[in-house]
Amino acid sequence: MACNEKNPSCAATGRTAVLLLAFALVPAVFTAWLHPKRPTWSWTRPTVTELALADAERLTPPVIWLDARPDEEYAAQHVPGALSLNEDRWDELLPKFMAVWQPGTRVVVYCNSQRCDASRAVAVRLRHEYQIGNVFVLQGGWSAWLEEHKP
Amino acid sequence: MNWLTRILRLLAGGVFLVAGVLKVLDPAHFAAAIDHFRLLPYFAVAPLALYLPWLEIVCGLAVFAGAARRSALVLLFAMTVVFIAAIASAWMRGLDIRCGCFGAASTAPLTYDLVFDVVLGGVLFWLLLVEGRPGSSRKV
Repeated sequence: MACNEKNPSCAATGRTAVLLLAFALVPAVFTAWLHPKRPTWSWTRPTVTELALADAERLTPPVIWLDARPDEEYAAQHVPGALSLNEDRWDELLPKFMAVWQPGTRVVVYCNSQRCDASRAVAVRLRHEYQIGNVFVLQGGWSAWLEEHKP
Repeated sequence: MNWLTRILRLLAGGVFLVAGVLKVLDPAHFAAAIDHFRLLPYFAVAPLALYLPWLEIVCGLAVFAGAARRSALVLLFAMTVVFIAAIASAWMRGLDIRCGCFGAASTAPLTYDLVFDVVLGGVLFWLLLVEGRPGSSRKV
């Protein structure tokens, strides 16, 4: 399989590979252009404001708490009153959130801990795709909340 | 062992075809999944999320069709190696994220995907060896 002049099939494999790489570009361009769920592009990562738990709990109502963790974790336990909104079932869960959200409502999104990214992703989508302001990410997430509200 | 090669070919091609289609259904979700790995600059995330699933589909089909099988296997093997490196690095950094390898169907912990990709990489490597062998069923 060594790629040298004694092995013309190797060069042919390389040429075909380049063709395959180029071929995949065509539908990708159409996806970028036409797909209803195409990603939004920007040079830098969109920022979201993080709030410490104490500050989040002091927000002026109305406040909606959003649980961005997977379904089974939300089902097991969540911040009292929190709604579930994760990217796995975004289309099903979003209407439930939209039904209670009103302009001026503050939204606090959390996931498991400081090491998870789901809350940030949900907050960014709400802010940039749905133009919802006052969306915050809870620092330390669910574990910070648990720590503070230990029985 | 011709039948074994055929079955493995179908499985390997099928895995990438399915994985590609699942991701093409929701490129925004896949872009978020890539970004969670924190390995790429943000401006590269959306283009990759649009391109990679189609490359998987094209190469998966090429493995079935046989027209460009060996090239497709080379590309798929290279991709799998990159995936293994990305997942392993996320795992070592202790990131609490999902792989996103199968779009919204990715709900297992990262270690599952790591094992899966290592097995897949092994299968692809073996198929490459078989395809490259002089007496292989297909002429180049």
